[in-house]
Amino acid sequence: MSKRNNFIRRSLMGVLSFLKESVFADEYAAKKGFLQSLDPRIKIITFILFILAILFTQSMAGSLYLYAVCLILAYLSRVSIGFFLKRTWIFIPLFSLFIAIPALFSVFSPGEPLLSLNMAGVQLIITRPGLWGAALFVTRVIASVSFAVLLSLTTKHFVLLKVLRILGIPQIFVMTMGMCYRYIYLFVEMIENTYTAVKSRSGVNIHYPRGQRVVAWNIAYLWVRSCQLNEEVYKAMLSRGYSGEPAVLNDFKAKPKDWLWLSAVLAMFAVNRLAEIWGIYG
Amino acid sequence: MDNPIFELQDAHFSYLGRYPALRGIDITVCQGEQIAVIGANGCGKSTLLHILDGLIFPERGSFKAFGKELKEDAFNRADFSRDFRKKVGLVFQNPDVQLFCPTVKEDIIFGPLQLGVEKGEIQRRLEALVGVLNIGDLLDRPPQQLSIGEKRKVAIASTLIIEPDILLLDEPTAGLDPQTTRCIIDLLIQANESGKTIITSTHDLHIVEEISDTVYVFSPEKKIIKSGCPHEILADEQLLRDNNLLHIHSHRHRDKSHIHPHTHLEHHS
Repeated sequence: MSKRNNFIRRSLMGVLSFLKESVFADEYAAKKGFLQSLDPRIKIITFILFILAILFTQSMAGSLYLYAVCLILAYLSRVSIGFFLKRTWIFIPLFSLFIAIPALFSVFSPGEPLLSLNMAGVQLIITRPGLWGAALFVTRVIASVSFAVLLSLTTKHFVLLKVLRILGIPQIFVMTMGMCYRYIYLFVEMIENTYTAVKSRSGVNIHYPRGQRVVAWNIAYLWVRSCQLNEEVYKAMLSRGYSGEPAVLNDFKAKPKDWLWLSAVLAMFAVNRLAEIWGIYG
Repeated sequence: MDNPIFELQDAHFSYLGRYPALRGIDITVCQGEQIAVIGANGCGKSTLLHILDGLIFPERGSFKAFGKELKEDAFNRADFSRDFRKKVGLVFQNPDVQLFCPTVKEDIIFGPLQLGVEKGEIQRRLEALVGVLNIGDLLDRPPQQLSIGEKRKVAIASTLIIEPDILLLDEPTAGLDPQTTRCIIDLLIQANESGKTIITSTHDLHIVEEISDTVYVFSPEKKIIKSGCPHEILADEQLLRDNNLLHIHSHRHRDKSHIHPHTHLEHHS
């Protein structure tokens, strides 16, 4: 089997299986844990409060305290901590590394030098304020990303979309997102089926240029199919009375437990702010 | 004829102006009728249903709905559009097209929500339909996780919940197992008995007698070649053969196999 062909096959199958397993599987959202038991509206509001608290935090201790709260919530919601750490730490370098590294050096953060590096005749000095600022930035990113990932893991995607609509995000925007989500799955299946059909007729040894032609043909086919689908779905929407502004049913019911949780988070938010203002975190 | 709902006269339609889909169709549908439109693949059955649902409009000829000429700009008036959509419901051939919401429940209630039906009433209709179609355990599932039979049931539920007077169904039993097919046929018979007009396109001759009083046969030339009562149409073997509607089976009797066409009526004689 050609190595390049094998690479394309493995990449394609890898992407498809990642999409199916991580994007479409609501494994943790279906578990019976603490966050899963909350009213999604209250849950989203409290998570926004947590992320705001992280944004306002000026100290690393404050950020780490909120990160610890996030890990405890993950544990209480029966999310595997190993899986959760892997999922969040994949994103963190992407978000923070490129921004945080330059902030280490005296060019951007002047102050007391900690370490001096000589790279190709250029002297780079890491400063104390630089190191402190970069560390604070990374902990803030860790905590914020962890809360966002925890929210998406413990909430079924359709519930998340529904809450966004109820919270006033333009309906058409949320509906488009929901439909994208819905039809990406269909296209993933279509790609898988086409690949299996090609393999069943030509075996696994497809000559590389021919493989390229097959892929190009598939892209064109998917494009045409998506255009057709777009038109047909719009007709199906019109047929059931859609007139440009989708209506949504709000059938969520908040329980006393949800209000208690909201009060607790509000109190936590206030205490955190006061601790920041009074300098308790140092 | 009593109380015509739809009247098509010499209706022509083509896709992209180049690919003819209907060539001079004349059809009149009256209230409470059960109509089956039969024909081979690509003969224009779906196009006809889309015209009757006011989704596309004939390029030539006339189309009257509820006694008035129907043009595209009529749907620019919100009150007319809402009224028409409440009266006419279409079940699409491909259920994936019709199920575009994140969950089955949202898909089913999409129609009445858009049409301004009161929330308590939507809940009542939903509960009733869930019971009839036995789809209670599907409500919170995403449509992509359903089997084809379940998708079709949900697609039918999403149209039935609007409680339209006229129900258009595009191959509702295609690819379904016998039990689900039976369930859908029973539902159509029940809907018709409650006064609804049912127009079904199909090439499944086994269901035609049960779901129709009048059958229109489409030819590969995209024209209606014959219409009549189901018994008369299904007995015309030459007509069915010419229009690619005859079943051809291979049978094995003892140690010999032989191939021969057979008509639907043989099952009932």
